[in-house]
Amino acid sequence: MSERILCVGDLLRQRGVSRRDFLQYTSVMASLLALPPSAAPALAEGLAKARRQAVIWLSFQECTGCIESLTRSFSPSLEDLIFDFISLDYQHALQAASGEAAEAARRQSMKDNAGKYIVVVDGSVPTADGGVYSCIAGQSNIDMLAETVADAAAVVAVGTCAAFGGLPQAHPNPTGAVSISTLVKNKPVVNIPGCPPMPQAMAGTLVHLLSFGKLPELDPLNRPRAFFGETIHDRCYRRPFYEKGMFAKSFDDEGARQGWCLYELGCKGPVTYNACASQKWNGGVSFPIQSGHGCIGCSEAGFWDRGGLYQPLSAGTTDMGKVIGIAAVAGVALGAGSAAIARKRQADYAATDKKEA
Amino acid sequence: MDLLDFARGPALQVALAVFVLGTLWRLAGVLLLPRLRDLSPAREGAPAPLAGALRIIVRRMWPRPEFAQATMFMTINSWIFHVGLAVVVFGLAPHILFIRNLLGLHWPALPSNLVYGVGVVTLASLVAVLVRRLRHPVMRLLSHAGDYISWLMTALPVATGLLATAHIGARYETLLALHILSIAALLVWFPFGKLMHALLFAFSRGATGIRFSHRGVEV
Amino acid sequence: MNAPASTTLPKPNFDRQGEQGYQERVDAAMRSFVREFGVTAALHMESCVRCGLCAEACHFYIATRDPKYTPVHKLELFRRAYFREASPFAPVVRALGLVKKPTIDELQRWQELIYDSCTMCGRCTLVCPMGIDIAELVKEARHGMYKAGLIPERLALMDRTARQWGSPATPAEDLPDILQEVSAEHGVPIPCDLAQADILVTAAPAELGDHTKALADAAKILNRIGVKWTMHQEGFDASNIGFNNGDMELQERLTRALVDTAVKIGAKTILLPECGHAYGAARWEAAKWYGAALPVRIIHMTEFLDELLASGQIRVNKIADSATFHDPCQIVRRGGLEAAARRVLAALGFELIELQDAGVSGFCCGGGGGVVSNIRATPLRAKVFEMKKAQVEATGAKRFVTSCGQCRITLEQGAKNTHWTKKTESLLELVADNLAQ
Repeated sequence: MSERILCVGDLLRQRGVSRRDFLQYTSVMASLLALPPSAAPALAEGLAKARRQAVIWLSFQECTGCIESLTRSFSPSLEDLIFDFISLDYQHALQAASGEAAEAARRQSMKDNAGKYIVVVDGSVPTADGGVYSCIAGQSNIDMLAETVADAAAVVAVGTCAAFGGLPQAHPNPTGAVSISTLVKNKPVVNIPGCPPMPQAMAGTLVHLLSFGKLPELDPLNRPRAFFGETIHDRCYRRPFYEKGMFAKSFDDEGARQGWCLYELGCKGPVTYNACASQKWNGGVSFPIQSGHGCIGCSEAGFWDRGGLYQPLSAGTTDMGKVIGIAAVAGVALGAGSAAIARKRQADYAATDKKEA
Repeated sequence: MDLLDFARGPALQVALAVFVLGTLWRLAGVLLLPRLRDLSPAREGAPAPLAGALRIIVRRMWPRPEFAQATMFMTINSWIFHVGLAVVVFGLAPHILFIRNLLGLHWPALPSNLVYGVGVVTLASLVAVLVRRLRHPVMRLLSHAGDYISWLMTALPVATGLLATAHIGARYETLLALHILSIAALLVWFPFGKLMHALLFAFSRGATGIRFSHRGVEV
Repeated sequence: MNAPASTTLPKPNFDRQGEQGYQERVDAAMRSFVREFGVTAALHMESCVRCGLCAEACHFYIATRDPKYTPVHKLELFRRAYFREASPFAPVVRALGLVKKPTIDELQRWQELIYDSCTMCGRCTLVCPMGIDIAELVKEARHGMYKAGLIPERLALMDRTARQWGSPATPAEDLPDILQEVSAEHGVPIPCDLAQADILVTAAPAELGDHTKALADAAKILNRIGVKWTMHQEGFDASNIGFNNGDMELQERLTRALVDTAVKIGAKTILLPECGHAYGAARWEAAKWYGAALPVRIIHMTEFLDELLASGQIRVNKIADSATFHDPCQIVRRGGLEAAARRVLAALGFELIELQDAGVSGFCCGGGGGVVSNIRATPLRAKVFEMKKAQVEATGAKRFVTSCGQCRITLEQGAKNTHWTKKTESLLELVADNLAQ
């Protein structure tokens, strides 16, 4: 019997997934990716013919929230199906192997799929003190990242930590945490930020890669436009209250109960690019604002250092008290000084005039 | 740190520091100059100096009827943009939050759409006064670079604020950053140009009010 | 004092006094300017927002529409001195060279703005939204111009005369003869140089020159009320040309001459003539030069008449004519006697028809602040007079009254030059001529 490498379509058929279900999945995915209707068949065909894609998932300074988000599911789920399309050769939370065996599996996949595997990374990389603050199997994250992406086809930085540095990078950044794109310069890097990212953003990007063999359209920060093209504010259902100036002033006050805008309670929706307001979470059930809490801007860089989650966007982010106090004292002193200089000049002139008279 | 973080953070901090330092320097530097006591007797029945000062501070908000015709444009137009600026600065919810963050004071906001409308009228009024300054022979003779900078520093926040709320011209976070930076620029410029009249007007009018109420003149 | 009419504008020129070098003049002016900046002057210099409203109040601007007559523009060099030397940021301004020191050329050209086209009438002060007392600042700037020897020659001449004679009009030693002549002409006793009196009566160039009848009018009223009064050689001219020219030393000397003489003869009151600048100098500024509150009461003729009429000490026959009144700037807008003047007019029985701009906002006659004596300013003054004349005519009033000798002379000159038949009358003369028995 000839060794035929099974493609995704074959595998699905083997599992009993009907063509109808498959087409349904791909048309939904096409719509999530904001592709035109004509693209759906192309997506389906591409995906059916695709080989199971080797994926190596590196986890560095992270909280495991990203993989939790991806796997959070109702069964059967869109995200669940992705695992039929990829060969997840290395992932700390999901892999069966551990220790040396896990690392060996990683290296073997790199060898077998050289130039074709995708590296997904979550968590930031510490760089301070030689990168000692996060090591796996005795290897620093810096070294493991460099080694693993060397023969990768593309890198997907998942979560705000990998995309932008995230929480570990928050002031004073004791570990010297940096984003993946700071270290990876010679491979295409896609950023899928969020703390955690939306599961459909991660899944959709991978599906696009699989089906079309290229990355989806990215914005200047390398985020897929399909999911990060608009702000929360642009699609927020509470927008009419914002326009009218009806704001909740505290949690559980009358305005809050009426569902008014949460701007005064620190909502960062206007400056946060993500799909939460339109696609929502947990299968479209809700999202933070709908649940009564302002957006914390978790998919934006540095969201921890923006002056506080409850600091409204129009307020300053630093404590002005001391600075203003010093400035005030200095101002009065300088004023008194210049008045003294003026008076002295006047006195000198009076003396000169007297002499001349 | 992106532009917005810079604007809301170091830029505002430096701007406020310069604003406070410069304003107090200028005020103290003027108010601590020699003071001449008026030793002449006041007119019989003259009000107390403070009353005389307060009276003129209020009275000079509007010209005497004899001057109304000749000063109509400047009077009406100036009222429009001064009131407009006050409504926008003190009436818009995000601005009130800015002040609350600084001073701990807050008050009810006006409907945002109303404020946007006032903002448009204010900007138009500011443009009108600029045109006047550029065309009227008297104002052209009097005006110098500082006057045009003061105009720009006042108009930019209004313009950038309107652009930000309308989401026109760039991504929102950029527009917001530019708006906050324009406020920072205004704060830095304030102590050094004629915008200082916002604080000086009371003292300047007051001094003349004291002088003339002492003499029994109804100015 | 009677200037020939001229309709051509003078070529830009200036007069110089003294032998100082150019740099010395500039330095002297700057030193003087800087010394003026106490709190009030500084506040005013800081507060201008260049709104241009002051121009709309100034009769010189209105009459010519030339922007250079904008009142605050007349303070330009004074402003530069302030920002360069006395303002809060002056050290930085100097270090960075942000404001230039005036040049001799600028200072000389500035003389015309400060002396020819400003009567210090204060109408600009009235309209300024920032309450800047531009008229007062012009007066302070004149101090520096005087020190620099850059005032109009005619004013400098009068200044030298006043320094010598105690009056620009009359040597002190001539006073007794003048008073004797007037007394004889009008049949009214006029005491002079009494060793003791309760009221020291003073005059101004108008009373000592063109309108000597005013001396007799005052005498008539004073004699009627039976007070012990006198005029005195050592302090007889209250007009204080130092106040006008910017000669501070002279201003102080003339002020002291009045006060010291009053004290010497035991007088408790100094009666000022119908003169505007006399009032400003003696009533409001004298204490500053004297260095303390005055030991005497200063009262203007108009106030005096008002008090006498109100208390019934004198009564007048009523004149059933319509009249309009020119408010002298220094006693009404800058002096506070608007109501007093009108009470006197009412007592005289006039049907008062106010000018379109009357009371505190009345237009200046155009001759105040030394402008009437400044030959160079004649054409400008003529233009301003046309405005005043038009307003008087518009009332249709029969009589035209004022209460300042210099205003009266200015208006009479204008009337003569334009062949206007309206006579300018004085409150004092009207009261004296209509005293009831």
